Amino acid sequence: MSDTTAGASAAPNADERLAYRGVFQRALVRPEIGAAIGAVAVWVFFWAVSVKFGQASGAQSILDQAAAPLGIMAVAVALLMIGGEFDLSSGAATGALGILTILLVRDVAGEAAGAGFSLWVALPISLLAALGLGWWNGFLVNRTSLPSFIVTLGSFFVLKGAKLGFSKLIVDQIQVGKLDDLAIYAEENGVSDKGYGLLDKVFAGEWIRNEHVWDSRDWVYSIGTLAGLTLVVLAVYEFHFRRKDVMNPTGLIGVVVGIALGLAGVWQLHNTDGAGANTIGAALIGAGMLVGFIGWGVWRYAPHTQSGTTAGRPDGVTAPLIAGVICFVAAILVGTWMDAQNGEDLTEAFDLGGGTSLAIAIVVALVAMIWSAGTGGAAAGNVIGSAISAAAAAALGEARARVISTGIVAILATLGFLNLSTEQGARAIIFIALTGAAFVSLITAATRSRRHSDRAGSALLLLTSVALVVMAFFVQSESSAPKFRAEAFSFMLAFAAIMAVWAIANTRFEVRRFTDTSADTTARNMLLSAVLLIVVGMVARLGWVTTEEAEVGGSIVKYSVRILWFLGFTAVVSWVLARTRFGSWTFAVGGNKEAARQVGVPAARTKTQLFMVVSAAAWLVGVLLAFRLNTIQASTGDGEEFEYIIAAVVGGTALTGGYGSTIGAGIGALIMAMAVQGIPSARWNSDWRFVFVGGILLLAVVANNYIRTKAESAR
Amino acid sequence: MSDTPLLELENISKFYGNIIALQGVTTEVRAGQVTCVLGDNGAGKSTFIKILAGVHEHSEGTFKLEGQEVNFKNPREALNAGIAAVYQDLAMVPLMSVWRNFFLGSEPTKGVWPLEWIDKAEAKRIAKEEMAKMGIDIRDTEQPVGTLSGGERQSVAIARAVYFGAKVLILDEPTSALGVKQSGVVLRYVVEAARRGLGVIFITHNPNHAYPVGDRFVILNRGQSMGNFAKEDISQNELTSLMAGGAELEALQHEIAQAQNS
Repeated sequence: MSDTTAGASAAPNADERLAYRGVFQRALVRPEIGAAIGAVAVWVFFWAVSVKFGQASGAQSILDQAAAPLGIMAVAVALLMIGGEFDLSSGAATGALGILTILLVRDVAGEAAGAGFSLWVALPISLLAALGLGWWNGFLVNRTSLPSFIVTLGSFFVLKGAKLGFSKLIVDQIQVGKLDDLAIYAEENGVSDKGYGLLDKVFAGEWIRNEHVWDSRDWVYSIGTLAGLTLVVLAVYEFHFRRKDVMNPTGLIGVVVGIALGLAGVWQLHNTDGAGANTIGAALIGAGMLVGFIGWGVWRYAPHTQSGTTAGRPDGVTAPLIAGVICFVAAILVGTWMDAQNGEDLTEAFDLGGGTSLAIAIVVALVAMIWSAGTGGAAAGNVIGSAISAAAAAALGEARARVISTGIVAILATLGFLNLSTEQGARAIIFIALTGAAFVSLITAATRSRRHSDRAGSALLLLTSVALVVMAFFVQSESSAPKFRAEAFSFMLAFAAIMAVWAIANTRFEVRRFTDTSADTTARNMLLSAVLLIVVGMVARLGWVTTEEAEVGGSIVKYSVRILWFLGFTAVVSWVLARTRFGSWTFAVGGNKEAARQVGVPAARTKTQLFMVVSAAAWLVGVLLAFRLNTIQASTGDGEEFEYIIAAVVGGTALTGGYGSTIGAGIGALIMAMAVQGIPSARWNSDWRFVFVGGILLLAVVANNYIRTKAESAR
Repeated sequence: MSDTPLLELENISKFYGNIIALQGVTTEVRAGQVTCVLGDNGAGKSTFIKILAGVHEHSEGTFKLEGQEVNFKNPREALNAGIAAVYQDLAMVPLMSVWRNFFLGSEPTKGVWPLEWIDKAEAKRIAKEEMAKMGIDIRDTEQPVGTLSGGERQSVAIARAVYFGAKVLILDEPTSALGVKQSGVVLRYVVEAARRGLGVIFITHNPNHAYPVGDRFVILNRGQSMGNFAKEDISQNELTSLMAGGAELEALQHEIAQAQNS
């Protein structure tokens, strides 16, 4: 045979077959990015339809709701799911461990609440019980090799029954309380409070915002967030463009001028008031961005060399472009019309009764599904199927994504329009839907034409940013809520400026098409500092009041320490997952258990430890609940395990195991908290909130899945 | 090359109750050489690997590792003695990155317990280096293994076995699921591993793959050893016909010819 030395002739080179992936593609394959984008979208949506979301009290209630029990448990459950297992007993366990803790500090025989164990004894005992529960779940799953779904379902019912049974048996009530009897008992009998005072601060301490005055807070806030956002953009530049061999220091002049202009803009925003002054401030910041970003590019990146256009028209650009323009015009028209109708209750005009509206919803959904499933119907389907379906359809281009998401969104949008909404809500839904569809379509058109030539892509992107500016001015002149008006206006202008500068930069600097580890590291560090700066800015803004605000008074905002527990727990678990052997083994046992075992990973032990992490988290949540509520119902936590799983899935964790993110699960919990908080604060009928939660779940999973496959395949 | 072979097998047999799974296999594996085990489906190849890798114990015969008679009770023992098996399913976790797969189960760590973390930079550097030694330049070791081609995945598994101190490498049908070109790539790794001083046992049912790389051939048929040949004693055609049961193949050709003629 002549091909005997086929291998010896040519050295195989993986690089030739491994195309370089750009910054956006690399970002999209990360499981938590989809969730983060979703969280921002949901937040913006509710921010537009309700006043509360833009305020500290809104942030407080979202964070509090997200933190515990949902967030902490979602993070632990996501870890377990990455390891390929489920724990359906995790919800019931939170209540059970809280009840156990309270029972331990009661003196059962003496009937005197608070005469039992000290908390220093009770907490370790209940933690041990929790770890035992997790060990037992893991042991059963490993030993029987049955699906954990069914094994832990058994544990769930046992716990549910035990909670009720023991509560009735011991205190003869369906609730167990009260933890703060410890303090009362201590005072009455002149004994120690057995750790209650200290531990109450640890588990249920509060930071009362209104009591903390800090006058330069807004400076920290504006400079922190603006510098952070700028750094994010610069990090994207660093990821995206090719570095020069020799830096050109002239560009630094631009950077300095840009920073100066930006600071001037911030100063202007701070020290003057009124729409005109805001516009000047925003204009200064925008000019600062232009000069600064371009200067940064001149300093660091190689000039653009790729020559002009390829012949022919770029593919797939016309349809989204037309759809975008149609949606844009429609949004403006609808906005104007609604404003003309201001004062009339739109819901009354459309109040057709439950049956009829449901029928209409289903018909609209079906029509949209059928329509958008057909080829060529994409543009029409976009308009009918409203924003998110258009986003999915235009961006993903997958027939099935179109069908599913169009259907879901059509049902939701129709239900929302006919049943949930107030007038403001109705307007917001339609307006935001059309605007969103318009911009997603325009950006899709720009992205697709970039494949053709950088110049064409940049031209379309510039067009998009001009459209955004028009929209910003439209919002400012037409919107009825002044608060929303000012914030939305500056936000949209800033975004338009970033987009425009990005478009220009793409025609001036050379895109990097190879891996540059040093540039990637720099960019990653910039992103990290950016996040830090934004967090500092936000914490300042949310945690303190100015003298002026303190004098006005307003609602008292109290942050519970459980938010810190949530953030800390998420951080620790995420570090463990990303950086330790245990984390690596978690991915391995979830991804391919047999393979993991073959190379010496203790698969059974790893799974048992994962179950123990979940039950330890349930213990933490149970204790947090006990200190917050003092009394725990026998039914506490029952059925919540599915919410944890939903949050994990919304955060990008795969149900099949081996893939996911604990940070994503935390963000998923935030999204769910926003949905739960947002509906009442938008003054919608909260009876329908689970329709919304369900819709978010489906959309998140569909979007995550398609974004991932799209990003994976488009390398 | 030293005179004692790495592995020396004499009349190895395996019985499951009254079923004879393997009988009278004799061969040797020397450092820097490739011993091919050929056989059709059901010939006893899997049983043979499992004995070598410590999954099963042999029923009869002698099994010598570096001149010492051994009898492995479990795969761990075999692995510790330096016999690493790369199975068809590759023992890879497709969604995990190359470097994580490379070090899975034996990750290098920094810090002290309980604050012990993976030395990521070191792990990535070693993974890249070891892959480069196999002739593969993986720029991004963060790439999920699932995105690699079949041949590259094999090479990760082989490089891992080599790095973790294997003296004898058992490759179970590494080319059976691959295309012509990919098979060529893997065969190159087989030769490369042998060149680096390992004894390689290459199990296949394809004599076209075995002959070019092998130094010694063992042919199995229905659990029986059909012989143990050094390369110079056998031609590729002889190998092919022996493996297919020689006479049977001729009869088959005859039959087909008749069927076509009629």
